[in-house]
Amino acid sequence: MQALTDNALMLKVKSGDLNTLGLLYERHKKRLFGFFYNMNSNPSLSEDLVQNVFVRILKYKHTYTGEGSFTAWMFRMARNVNYDHFKKNKNNRETNDLSSISFKLQDSKDTNSEQDRKDVISTVQRAMNLLPPEKREVLVLSKYKEMKFSEIGEILGCSEGAAKVKAHRALKDLRTVFMQLEKR
Amino acid sequence: MDTTQFEIWVMDYLSGELDEASIQRFEKFLTDNEEYQKQFDVLLSSWEQLNALEVPEPSEKMDTQFFEMLSNATEKNDKIPWYKKLQMGIRQGMDSLVQSKLAYGALVLILGLTLGYFFRNGATEVDASSEMASTSETKQVREKLVLTLLEQPSANQRLQGVSEANKFEKVDDKVVNALLKTLNNDPNVNVRLAAIESLIKYVDNPLVREGLVQSIVKQESPILQVTLANLMVALQEKKSIEPFRKLMRTKELDTTVIQQIERSIETII
Repeated sequence: MQALTDNALMLKVKSGDLNTLGLLYERHKKRLFGFFYNMNSNPSLSEDLVQNVFVRILKYKHTYTGEGSFTAWMFRMARNVNYDHFKKNKNNRETNDLSSISFKLQDSKDTNSEQDRKDVISTVQRAMNLLPPEKREVLVLSKYKEMKFSEIGEILGCSEGAAKVKAHRALKDLRTVFMQLEKR
Repeated sequence: MDTTQFEIWVMDYLSGELDEASIQRFEKFLTDNEEYQKQFDVLLSSWEQLNALEVPEPSEKMDTQFFEMLSNATEKNDKIPWYKKLQMGIRQGMDSLVQSKLAYGALVLILGLTLGYFFRNGATEVDASSEMASTSETKQVREKLVLTLLEQPSANQRLQGVSEANKFEKVDDKVVNALLKTLNNDPNVNVRLAAIESLIKYVDNPLVREGLVQSIVKQESPILQVTLANLMVALQEKKSIEPFRKLMRTKELDTTVIQQIERSIETII
Protein backbone atom coordinates (compact mmCIF):
# COMPACT_ATOMS: atom_id res chain seq x y z
CA MET A 1 0.00 0.00 0.00
CA GLN A 2 1.42 3.35 -0.94
CA ALA A 3 0.11 6.12 1.27
CA LEU A 4 1.69 9.03 -0.51
CA THR A 5 1.22 9.10 -4.26
CA ASP A 6 4.24 9.37 -6.54
CA ASN A 7 2.90 12.72 -7.54
CA ALA A 8 2.87 14.03 -3.95
CA LEU A 9 6.39 12.67 -3.35
CA MET A 10 7.75 14.30 -6.49
CA LEU A 11 6.22 17.63 -5.48
CA LYS A 12 8.06 17.29 -2.15
CA VAL A 13 11.30 16.68 -4.04
CA LYS A 14 10.55 19.74 -6.14
CA SER A 15 10.05 21.88 -3.03
CA GLY A 16 13.55 20.92 -1.79
CA ASP A 17 12.94 17.78 0.29
CA LEU A 18 15.47 15.83 -1.78
CA ASN A 19 15.60 12.79 0.51
CA THR A 20 12.07 11.92 -0.61
CA LEU A 21 13.57 10.94 -3.94
CA GLY A 22 14.78 7.82 -2.09
CA LEU A 23 11.17 6.66 -1.79
CA LEU A 24 10.52 7.16 -5.49
CA TYR A 25 13.74 5.31 -6.27
CA GLU A 26 12.70 2.33 -4.14
CA ARG A 27 9.28 2.24 -5.81
CA HIS A 28 10.50 2.40 -9.39
CA LYS A 29 14.09 1.11 -9.54
CA LYS A 30 13.17 -2.43 -10.62
CA ARG A 31 10.80 -1.32 -13.34
CA LEU A 32 13.30 1.16 -14.74
CA PHE A 33 16.08 -1.41 -14.56
CA GLY A 34 13.82 -3.89 -16.42
CA PHE A 35 13.09 -1.26 -19.07
CA PHE A 36 16.78 -0.65 -19.76
CA TYR A 37 17.70 -4.32 -19.50
CA ASN A 38 15.08 -5.26 -22.06
CA MET A 39 16.38 -2.49 -24.28
CA ASN A 40 20.10 -3.36 -24.11
CA SER A 41 20.53 -6.79 -22.41
CA ASN A 42 23.39 -5.39 -20.36
CA PRO A 43 22.79 -5.39 -16.57
CA SER A 44 25.70 -3.16 -15.63
CA LEU A 45 24.87 -0.55 -18.26
CA SER A 46 21.19 -0.71 -17.21
CA GLU A 47 22.15 0.10 -13.61
CA ASP A 48 24.12 3.13 -14.77
CA LEU A 49 21.21 4.33 -16.88
CA VAL A 50 18.80 4.00 -13.93
CA GLN A 51 21.19 6.23 -11.99
CA ASN A 52 21.21 8.74 -14.86
CA VAL A 53 17.41 8.91 -14.81
CA PHE A 54 17.39 9.94 -11.15
CA VAL A 55 20.20 12.44 -11.68
CA ARG A 56 18.07 13.94 -14.42
CA ILE A 57 14.96 13.95 -12.24
CA LEU A 58 16.87 16.03 -9.69
CA LYS A 59 18.23 18.32 -12.36
CA TYR A 60 14.85 18.95 -13.95
CA LYS A 61 12.68 18.76 -10.84
CA HIS A 62 11.61 22.38 -11.37
CA THR A 63 9.87 21.35 -14.61
CA TYR A 64 7.58 18.89 -12.82
CA THR A 65 4.08 20.33 -12.71
CA GLY A 66 2.22 17.49 -11.04
CA GLU A 67 -0.16 17.21 -13.97
CA GLY A 68 -0.38 13.81 -15.66
CA SER A 69 1.21 10.69 -14.28
CA PHE A 70 4.60 10.70 -12.57
CA THR A 71 5.41 7.34 -14.17
CA ALA A 72 4.90 8.77 -17.65
CA TRP A 73 7.12 11.77 -16.79
CA MET A 74 9.82 9.47 -15.40
CA PHE A 75 9.73 7.13 -18.39
CA ARG A 76 10.01 10.09 -20.76
CA MET A 77 13.27 10.89 -18.96
CA ALA A 78 14.29 7.22 -19.21
CA ARG A 79 13.71 7.26 -22.97
CA ASN A 80 15.83 10.37 -23.35
CA VAL A 81 18.60 8.86 -21.21
CA ASN A 82 18.54 5.73 -23.35
CA TYR A 83 18.49 7.74 -26.57
CA ASP A 84 21.37 9.97 -25.46
CA HIS A 85 23.45 7.01 -24.41
CA PHE A 86 23.12 5.24 -27.74
CA LYS A 87 23.63 8.43 -29.68
CA LYS A 88 26.94 8.92 -27.86
CA ASN A 89 27.96 5.30 -28.39
CA LYS A 90 26.67 4.86 -31.93
CA ASN A 91 29.68 2.88 -33.10
CA ASN A 92 29.94 0.88 -29.96
CA ARG A 93 26.53 -0.69 -29.35
CA GLU A 94 26.68 -2.57 -26.12
CA THR A 95 24.54 -5.64 -26.45
CA ASN A 96 25.39 -8.70 -24.51
CA ASP A 97 24.70 -11.83 -26.47
CA LEU A 98 27.29 -13.65 -24.39
CA SER A 99 24.92 -13.71 -21.45
CA SER A 100 22.45 -15.86 -23.36
CA ILE A 101 25.22 -18.23 -24.49
CA SER A 102 26.57 -18.80 -21.00
CA PHE A 103 22.98 -19.12 -19.82
CA LYS A 104 22.56 -22.07 -22.22
CA LEU A 105 25.82 -23.72 -21.19
CA GLN A 106 25.28 -23.67 -17.47
CA ASP A 107 21.89 -25.32 -17.75
CA SER A 108 22.92 -28.39 -19.69
CA LYS A 109 21.38 -30.69 -17.08
CA ASP A 110 17.91 -29.27 -17.52
CA THR A 111 15.09 -31.38 -18.82
CA ASN A 112 14.32 -31.06 -22.51
CA SER A 113 11.15 -29.05 -22.10
CA GLU A 114 12.81 -26.63 -19.71
CA GLN A 115 15.72 -26.31 -22.10
CA ASP A 116 13.29 -25.69 -25.00
CA ARG A 117 11.58 -22.94 -23.02
CA LYS A 118 14.91 -21.30 -22.29
CA ASP A 119 15.92 -21.56 -25.94
CA VAL A 120 12.71 -19.82 -26.96
CA ILE A 121 13.24 -17.03 -24.41
CA SER A 122 16.80 -16.60 -25.62
CA THR A 123 15.62 -16.36 -29.25
CA VAL A 124 12.91 -13.84 -28.30
CA GLN A 125 15.56 -11.75 -26.55
CA ARG A 126 17.74 -11.86 -29.66
CA ALA A 127 14.75 -10.97 -31.82
CA MET A 128 14.05 -8.01 -29.50
CA ASN A 129 17.65 -6.83 -29.88
CA LEU A 130 17.26 -6.88 -33.66
CA LEU A 131 14.15 -4.68 -33.64
CA PRO A 132 14.58 -0.91 -34.12
CA PRO A 133 14.76 0.81 -30.68
CA GLU A 134 11.37 2.55 -31.02
CA LYS A 135 9.63 -0.80 -31.59
CA ARG A 136 11.52 -2.48 -28.78
CA GLU A 137 10.59 0.40 -26.51
CA VAL A 138 6.84 0.21 -27.11
CA LEU A 139 6.92 -3.56 -26.51
CA VAL A 140 8.85 -3.23 -23.26
CA LEU A 141 6.41 -0.60 -22.02
CA SER A 142 3.32 -2.66 -22.94
CA LYS A 143 4.80 -5.61 -21.04
CA TYR A 144 4.22 -3.79 -17.73
CA LYS A 145 0.82 -4.87 -16.52
CA GLU A 146 0.38 -1.84 -14.31
CA MET A 147 0.93 0.60 -17.15
CA LYS A 148 -2.10 1.63 -19.19
CA PHE A 149 -1.87 2.49 -22.87
CA SER A 150 -2.98 6.03 -22.04
CA GLU A 151 0.30 6.37 -20.07
CA ILE A 152 2.33 4.71 -22.81
CA GLY A 153 0.85 7.25 -25.23
CA GLU A 154 1.88 10.04 -22.82
CA ILE A 155 5.43 8.64 -22.72
CA LEU A 156 5.71 8.23 -26.48
CA GLY A 157 4.08 11.56 -27.20
CA CYS A 158 1.13 10.13 -29.15
CA SER A 159 -2.53 9.26 -28.58
CA GLU A 160 -3.64 6.14 -26.71
CA GLY A 161 -4.93 4.61 -29.96
CA ALA A 162 -1.68 5.31 -31.79
CA ALA A 163 0.27 3.67 -28.94
CA LYS A 164 -1.86 0.53 -29.29
CA VAL A 165 -1.34 0.42 -33.06
CA LYS A 166 2.43 0.87 -32.58
CA ALA A 167 2.50 -1.96 -30.04
CA HIS A 168 0.48 -4.24 -32.32
CA ARG A 169 2.78 -3.64 -35.28
CA ALA A 170 5.93 -4.03 -33.18
CA LEU A 171 4.58 -7.33 -31.90
CA LYS A 172 4.01 -8.48 -35.48
CA ASP A 173 7.58 -7.48 -36.39
CA LEU A 174 8.91 -9.32 -33.36
CA ARG A 175 7.13 -12.42 -34.61
CA THR A 176 8.69 -12.04 -38.08
CA VAL A 177 12.23 -11.64 -36.71
CA PHE A 178 11.68 -14.51 -34.29
CA MET A 179 10.59 -16.83 -37.12
CA GLN A 180 13.61 -15.83 -39.19
CA LEU A 181 15.95 -16.66 -36.29
CA GLU A 182 14.20 -20.00 -35.72
CA LYS A 183 14.75 -20.99 -39.34
CA ARG A 184 18.54 -20.47 -39.12
CA MET B 1 -13.41 -4.52 -40.05
CA ASP B 2 -10.87 -1.73 -40.44
CA THR B 3 -7.27 -2.97 -39.84
CA THR B 4 -6.41 -0.21 -37.36
CA GLN B 5 -9.58 -0.88 -35.43
CA PHE B 6 -8.68 -4.57 -35.19
CA GLU B 7 -5.10 -3.76 -34.11
CA ILE B 8 -6.39 -1.56 -31.29
CA TRP B 9 -8.94 -4.15 -30.24
CA VAL B 10 -6.30 -6.91 -30.06
CA MET B 11 -4.01 -4.78 -27.87
CA ASP B 12 -6.94 -3.90 -25.58
CA TYR B 13 -7.64 -7.60 -25.22
CA LEU B 14 -4.02 -8.68 -24.68
CA SER B 15 -3.24 -5.95 -22.16
CA GLY B 16 -6.37 -6.71 -20.14
CA GLU B 17 -7.99 -3.33 -20.71
CA LEU B 18 -11.35 -4.84 -21.78
CA ASP B 19 -14.29 -5.48 -19.45
CA GLU B 20 -16.01 -8.87 -19.30
CA ALA B 21 -18.70 -8.06 -21.89
CA SER B 22 -16.11 -6.68 -24.35
CA ILE B 23 -13.93 -9.76 -23.90
CA GLN B 24 -16.86 -12.00 -24.84
CA ARG B 25 -17.65 -9.82 -27.86
CA PHE B 26 -14.03 -9.97 -29.00
CA GLU B 27 -13.80 -13.75 -28.58
CA LYS B 28 -17.06 -14.23 -30.50
CA PHE B 29 -15.74 -12.03 -33.28
CA LEU B 30 -12.65 -14.24 -33.56
CA THR B 31 -14.74 -17.43 -33.63
CA ASP B 32 -16.88 -15.98 -36.43
CA ASN B 33 -13.88 -14.76 -38.46
CA GLU B 34 -11.31 -17.43 -39.09
CA GLU B 35 -8.84 -15.11 -40.82
CA TYR B 36 -8.72 -12.74 -37.82
CA GLN B 37 -8.50 -15.74 -35.49
CA LYS B 38 -5.33 -16.89 -37.28
CA GLN B 39 -3.77 -13.42 -37.07
CA PHE B 40 -4.65 -13.24 -33.41
CA ASP B 41 -3.20 -16.68 -32.57
CA VAL B 42 0.17 -15.70 -34.04
CA LEU B 43 0.21 -12.48 -32.05
CA LEU B 44 -0.89 -14.19 -28.86
CA SER B 45 2.09 -16.53 -28.92
CA SER B 46 4.45 -13.56 -29.46
CA TRP B 47 2.77 -11.70 -26.61
CA GLU B 48 3.23 -14.68 -24.30
CA GLN B 49 6.88 -14.99 -25.31
CA LEU B 50 7.39 -11.30 -24.70
CA ASN B 51 5.95 -11.63 -21.21
CA ALA B 52 8.20 -14.60 -20.50
CA LEU B 53 11.34 -12.49 -21.02
CA GLU B 54 13.32 -12.55 -17.82
CA VAL B 55 15.01 -9.64 -16.12
CA PRO B 56 17.74 -10.22 -13.50
CA GLU B 57 17.68 -8.41 -10.17
CA PRO B 58 19.73 -5.21 -10.07
CA SER B 59 22.82 -5.44 -7.83
CA GLU B 60 23.35 -3.72 -4.49
CA LYS B 61 25.90 -1.50 -6.21
CA MET B 62 23.01 0.31 -7.89
CA ASP B 63 21.51 1.22 -4.48
CA THR B 64 24.89 2.35 -3.13
CA GLN B 65 25.52 4.56 -6.15
CA PHE B 66 22.05 6.06 -5.94
CA PHE B 67 22.24 6.90 -2.23
CA GLU B 68 25.72 8.37 -2.66
CA MET B 69 24.41 10.58 -5.43
CA LEU B 70 21.41 11.55 -3.27
CA SER B 71 23.53 12.40 -0.25
CA ASN B 72 25.83 14.56 -2.39
CA ALA B 73 22.82 16.36 -3.83
CA THR B 74 21.30 16.84 -0.35
CA GLU B 75 24.57 18.21 1.00
CA LYS B 76 24.81 20.67 -1.88
CA ASN B 77 21.18 21.67 -1.39
CA ASP B 78 21.74 22.33 2.32
CA LYS B 79 24.42 24.86 1.40
CA ILE B 80 21.97 27.02 -0.55
CA PRO B 81 21.42 30.24 1.51
CA TRP B 82 18.05 30.44 3.34
CA TYR B 83 16.90 33.55 1.41
CA LYS B 84 17.36 31.72 -1.91
CA LYS B 85 15.35 28.76 -0.62
CA LEU B 86 12.65 31.19 0.52
CA GLN B 87 12.61 32.81 -2.91
CA MET B 88 12.30 29.39 -4.56
CA GLY B 89 9.49 28.43 -2.18
CA ILE B 90 7.53 31.61 -2.88
CA ARG B 91 7.96 31.17 -6.62
CA GLN B 92 6.76 27.56 -6.45
CA GLY B 93 3.84 28.59 -4.23
CA MET B 94 2.79 31.20 -6.79
CA ASP B 95 3.13 28.69 -9.62
CA SER B 96 0.99 26.11 -7.94
CA LEU B 97 -1.62 28.73 -6.99
CA VAL B 98 -2.03 29.68 -10.62
CA GLN B 99 -1.98 26.09 -11.78
CA SER B 100 -4.46 24.79 -9.29
CA LYS B 101 -7.25 26.98 -10.72
CA LEU B 102 -8.82 28.39 -7.60
CA ALA B 103 -12.44 27.83 -8.58
CA TYR B 104 -11.87 24.15 -9.16
CA GLY B 105 -10.01 23.95 -5.85
CA ALA B 106 -12.90 25.52 -3.99
CA LEU B 107 -15.33 23.05 -5.55
CA VAL B 108 -13.17 20.11 -4.56
CA LEU B 109 -12.85 21.53 -1.05
CA ILE B 110 -16.61 21.79 -0.60
CA LEU B 111 -17.09 18.30 -2.01
CA GLY B 112 -14.32 16.99 0.22
CA LEU B 113 -15.81 18.58 3.35
CA THR B 114 -19.24 17.14 2.56
CA LEU B 115 -17.89 13.66 1.92
CA GLY B 116 -15.62 13.97 4.93
CA TYR B 117 -18.62 14.73 7.13
CA PHE B 118 -20.42 11.58 6.00
CA PHE B 119 -17.47 9.20 5.95
CA ARG B 120 -15.59 10.58 8.90
CA ASN B 121 -15.07 7.30 10.78
CA GLY B 122 -14.12 5.22 7.74
CA ALA B 123 -11.70 7.83 6.52
CA THR B 124 -9.93 7.98 9.86
CA GLU B 125 -9.17 4.27 9.67
CA VAL B 126 -7.86 4.53 6.10
CA ASP B 127 -5.71 7.53 7.06
CA ALA B 128 -4.22 5.70 10.01
CA SER B 129 -3.22 2.63 8.00
CA SER B 130 -1.94 4.79 5.13
CA GLU B 131 0.15 6.71 7.60
CA MET B 132 1.63 3.46 8.91
CA ALA B 133 2.51 2.21 5.42
CA SER B 134 4.11 5.52 4.60
CA THR B 135 6.10 5.56 7.85
CA SER B 136 7.51 2.08 7.32
CA GLU B 137 8.47 2.91 3.72
CA THR B 138 10.20 6.11 4.85
CA LYS B 139 12.00 4.19 7.59
CA GLN B 140 13.41 1.67 5.11
CA VAL B 141 14.67 4.40 2.82
CA ARG B 142 16.15 6.35 5.76
CA GLU B 143 17.97 3.21 6.92
CA LYS B 144 19.56 2.80 3.50
CA LEU B 145 20.51 6.46 3.47
CA VAL B 146 22.10 6.25 6.96
CA LEU B 147 24.08 3.10 6.10
CA THR B 148 25.35 4.62 2.87
CA LEU B 149 26.24 7.97 4.43
CA LEU B 150 28.16 6.36 7.29
CA GLU B 151 30.42 4.65 4.73
CA GLN B 152 31.33 7.88 2.92
CA PRO B 153 34.93 9.20 2.89
CA SER B 154 33.78 12.75 3.70
CA ALA B 155 33.38 13.49 7.44
CA ASN B 156 30.55 15.91 6.65
CA GLN B 157 28.58 13.20 4.97
CA ARG B 158 29.18 10.79 7.85
CA LEU B 159 27.94 13.50 10.24
CA GLN B 160 24.87 13.85 8.06
CA GLY B 161 24.41 10.07 8.30
CA VAL B 162 24.50 10.23 12.10
CA SER B 163 22.04 13.10 12.11
CA GLU B 164 19.68 11.10 9.86
CA ALA B 165 19.99 8.23 12.35
CA ASN B 166 18.51 10.51 15.05
CA LYS B 167 15.23 10.65 13.19
CA PHE B 168 14.09 7.07 13.88
CA GLU B 169 11.33 6.38 16.36
CA LYS B 170 12.62 2.84 16.86
CA VAL B 171 16.02 1.91 15.58
CA ASP B 172 16.95 -1.24 13.66
CA ASP B 173 19.89 -3.50 14.69
CA LYS B 174 21.63 -2.80 11.37
CA VAL B 175 21.65 0.92 12.09
CA VAL B 176 22.76 0.37 15.72
CA ASN B 177 25.70 -1.74 14.53
CA ALA B 178 26.65 0.88 11.94
CA LEU B 179 26.56 3.63 14.61
CA LEU B 180 28.64 1.52 17.01
CA LYS B 181 31.14 0.83 14.24
CA THR B 182 31.35 4.58 13.65
CA LEU B 183 31.80 5.21 17.39
CA ASN B 184 34.68 2.71 17.58
CA ASN B 185 36.46 3.27 14.29
CA ASP B 186 35.68 6.62 12.73
CA PRO B 187 38.88 8.66 12.25
CA ASN B 188 37.05 11.91 13.06
CA VAL B 189 36.37 12.80 16.74
CA ASN B 190 33.33 14.93 15.90
CA VAL B 191 31.71 12.06 14.04
CA ARG B 192 32.41 9.70 16.95
CA LEU B 193 30.90 12.22 19.40
CA ALA B 194 27.84 12.62 17.19
CA ALA B 195 27.50 8.83 17.11
CA ILE B 196 27.37 8.75 20.95
CA GLU B 197 24.73 11.45 20.98
CA SER B 198 22.69 9.52 18.47
CA LEU B 199 23.04 6.25 20.39
CA ILE B 200 21.94 7.94 23.64
CA LYS B 201 18.51 8.27 22.11
CA TYR B 202 18.24 4.50 21.92
CA VAL B 203 19.80 3.43 25.27
CA ASP B 204 16.70 1.40 26.12
CA ASN B 205 17.86 -1.04 23.45
CA PRO B 206 20.17 -3.65 25.14
CA LEU B 207 22.32 -3.85 22.00
CA VAL B 208 23.04 -0.11 22.27
CA ARG B 209 23.86 -0.30 26.02
CA GLU B 210 26.14 -3.29 25.51
CA GLY B 211 27.85 -1.64 22.55
CA LEU B 212 28.49 1.56 24.52
CA VAL B 213 30.04 -0.40 27.40
CA GLN B 214 32.28 -2.37 25.05
CA SER B 215 33.32 0.83 23.32
CA ILE B 216 34.92 2.26 26.50
CA VAL B 217 38.24 0.39 26.09
CA LYS B 218 38.46 1.29 22.41
CA GLN B 219 38.45 5.06 22.85
CA GLU B 220 41.70 7.03 22.49
CA SER B 221 40.36 10.57 22.62
CA PRO B 222 40.03 12.21 26.12
CA ILE B 223 36.80 13.96 25.16
CA LEU B 224 35.17 10.67 24.20
CA GLN B 225 36.48 8.94 27.30
CA VAL B 226 34.97 11.66 29.51
CA THR B 227 31.70 11.68 27.57
CA LEU B 228 31.33 7.93 27.99
CA ALA B 229 32.18 8.20 31.71
CA ASN B 230 29.46 10.83 32.21
CA LEU B 231 27.01 8.76 30.21
CA MET B 232 27.65 5.62 32.28
CA VAL B 233 27.03 7.59 35.47
CA ALA B 234 23.76 8.86 34.06
CA LEU B 235 22.78 5.31 33.13
CA GLN B 236 24.15 3.88 36.39
CA GLU B 237 25.65 1.10 34.27
CA LYS B 238 27.54 -1.27 36.61
CA LYS B 239 28.91 -3.30 33.70
CA SER B 240 31.01 -0.28 32.72
CA ILE B 241 33.21 -0.38 35.86
CA GLU B 242 35.49 -3.17 34.68
CA PRO B 243 36.06 -1.68 31.21
CA PHE B 244 36.93 1.68 32.80
CA ARG B 245 39.43 0.00 35.13
CA LYS B 246 40.91 -1.83 32.18
CA LEU B 247 41.15 1.45 30.27
CA MET B 248 43.09 3.02 33.13
CA ARG B 249 45.40 -0.02 33.36
CA THR B 250 46.15 -0.37 29.66
CA LYS B 251 46.29 3.17 28.33
CA GLU B 252 48.17 6.28 29.27
CA LEU B 253 45.36 8.63 30.13
CA ASP B 254 45.20 12.34 30.73
CA THR B 255 45.16 13.17 34.52
CA THR B 256 41.80 14.96 34.24
CA VAL B 257 40.34 11.94 32.51
CA ILE B 258 41.64 9.58 35.20
CA GLN B 259 40.08 11.76 37.92
CA GLN B 260 36.81 11.92 36.04
CA ILE B 261 36.71 8.14 35.54
CA GLU B 262 37.54 7.47 39.19
CA ARG B 263 34.74 9.80 40.28
CA SER B 264 32.39 8.06 37.88
CA ILE B 265 33.26 4.60 39.18
CA GLU B 266 32.63 5.74 42.76
CA THR B 267 29.25 7.18 41.82
CA ILE B 268 28.20 4.03 39.98
CA ILE B 269 29.28 1.72 42.83
